[in-house]
Amino acid sequence: MISVSDIKVVFGKGTPLQKQALNGVSLTIEEGQFVTVIGSNGAGKSTLLGVLAGDVIATEGQVKIGTADVTRQGTAARAGRVARVFQDPLTGSCGALSIEENLALAARRGERRGLAAALGPQRRAHFRERIAELNLGLENRMRDRMDLLSGGQRQAVSLVMATLAGSDVLLLDEHTAALDPGMAEFIMTLTQKIVSERKLTTLMVTHSMRQALDYGHRTVMLHGGEIVLDVAGDNRRNLQVEDLIAMFRKMRGQTLDDDALLIG
Amino acid sequence: MSLIAFWGAVELGLVFAFVSIGVYLAFRVLDFPDLTVDGSFPLGAAVAAVLIIAGLNPWLASAVAMVAGALAGLVTAMLNVRFRILNLLASILTMIALFSVNLRVMGKPNVALINAETMISPFFGHGLRDFYVRPLFVGVLVVVAVIVVWRFLESDAGLSMRATGANARMARAQGVDTNRQIYLGIALSNALVALGGALFAQTNGFADVTSGVGTIVVGLAAVIIGETLFGARGILAALIGCVVGSILYRIAIQLALSSDVLGLQASDLNFVTAVLVTVALVLPRLRRGGAA
Repeated sequence: MISVSDIKVVFGKGTPLQKQALNGVSLTIEEGQFVTVIGSNGAGKSTLLGVLAGDVIATEGQVKIGTADVTRQGTAARAGRVARVFQDPLTGSCGALSIEENLALAARRGERRGLAAALGPQRRAHFRERIAELNLGLENRMRDRMDLLSGGQRQAVSLVMATLAGSDVLLLDEHTAALDPGMAEFIMTLTQKIVSERKLTTLMVTHSMRQALDYGHRTVMLHGGEIVLDVAGDNRRNLQVEDLIAMFRKMRGQTLDDDALLIG
Repeated sequence: MSLIAFWGAVELGLVFAFVSIGVYLAFRVLDFPDLTVDGSFPLGAAVAAVLIIAGLNPWLASAVAMVAGALAGLVTAMLNVRFRILNLLASILTMIALFSVNLRVMGKPNVALINAETMISPFFGHGLRDFYVRPLFVGVLVVVAVIVVWRFLESDAGLSMRATGANARMARAQGVDTNRQIYLGIALSNALVALGGALFAQTNGFADVTSGVGTIVVGLAAVIIGETLFGARGILAALIGCVVGSILYRIAIQLALSSDVLGLQASDLNFVTAVLVTVALVLPRLRRGGAA
């Protein structure tokens, strides 16, 4: 479970560039719920994700993941509770390490790391098995460096990495945005499979309204650092992309000038 | 080149293999350009020499020298991590400060160890000539160091250090405290370099405050020669490359200096070093055809 209450984030406080990135956001995500988050550039999507991941420490408010209050914890300290896939495939994994070394690193996420060999026969076999499930043929390239893989392959491995160690929440940060449409589709199908099989509490930030409605149980729209729409269940099932845009206009009483929201 | 000069070069190469492994940890694993080594090498020599003369067991003295090196590394890491000083500059500050520290430790610019009991002296006089004993002894220690560092870098803990250097953001997302890894890695690096200094003092019979000048270039030269020869074939190959590179570097220097044709003398050492490192840096680029 994730519970965010009355989060405010101000960047560059007291400077001419001061920006209120989040302005009192409250959001509770139940165990096993898959929430999609949309919003235009600067709406606060990335900041919200950062607040959950620990990259951004909230100026005000409280963040709870599972049963723990993590408001003041940095990224590394709360990594045991948070699994994450980044937008840039290069960020989510280590290009200089091999595929299996990346997996070994992820398998100990949030745990103490000792002096035992990172890759024993047992772990190797386990990693191979998990990678084979992707059907990308990568199980025969386990000792290849990660930077020899394509962006899509790296993102697929990142998804596996995110599920090797237990977590209270899976954060997906526009994780298909840098991929070609075919690979993006593959990654989304894989995401859907992993999330439903493992019943992961998931928050996915996306630029695509289509994706936001097609996947998950609930959709949240951010604008100007506030939640302006929060739909689930039947209301959401009947919702079309066009409705979403109309609703968005009505709520804010302003015209939509961001093409990015209409694409997809 | 005489037999004695050749084995002398091998011995010096093995002593400096500790430096090149240390430099590899900082520059390659952590991506932290650390010049502290120019100070921590003579620091190791000074601490070991002074303690040995004071009557301490030479193994213990060398262990203390390693601790001193680690502390020097921690200072550099703290200047960088805690006070946000650029890594290169942080290490230069520590290096400069260490020059004075080393003078304080020794009380004078150099200390002689000629007749003192060292780590190696028990192995002399058992039938093997001294100029074989020294490289053999240091070589055994180098093998131990290579195995320890190799096993460490392939452990869970070592993996998080490698991730810190390769992709710090990813490392943090995996729960790695990247600041701690920098403290740990730079301390380990300088401990190895200081051990190199301690062995240098014991094999050469003296510690000198100026013996650290250019240590970083020599260490880097060995790392680069090793990489040129062995390529990217994993951690063990890289570490063996450091050792082989260090030995080859010394032999190359010895050849250059002892060749009558070139007419070089001992004082040309630093120039020859600079030329060798430049060649080692440029060659792989030329081979790839990427030279502009």
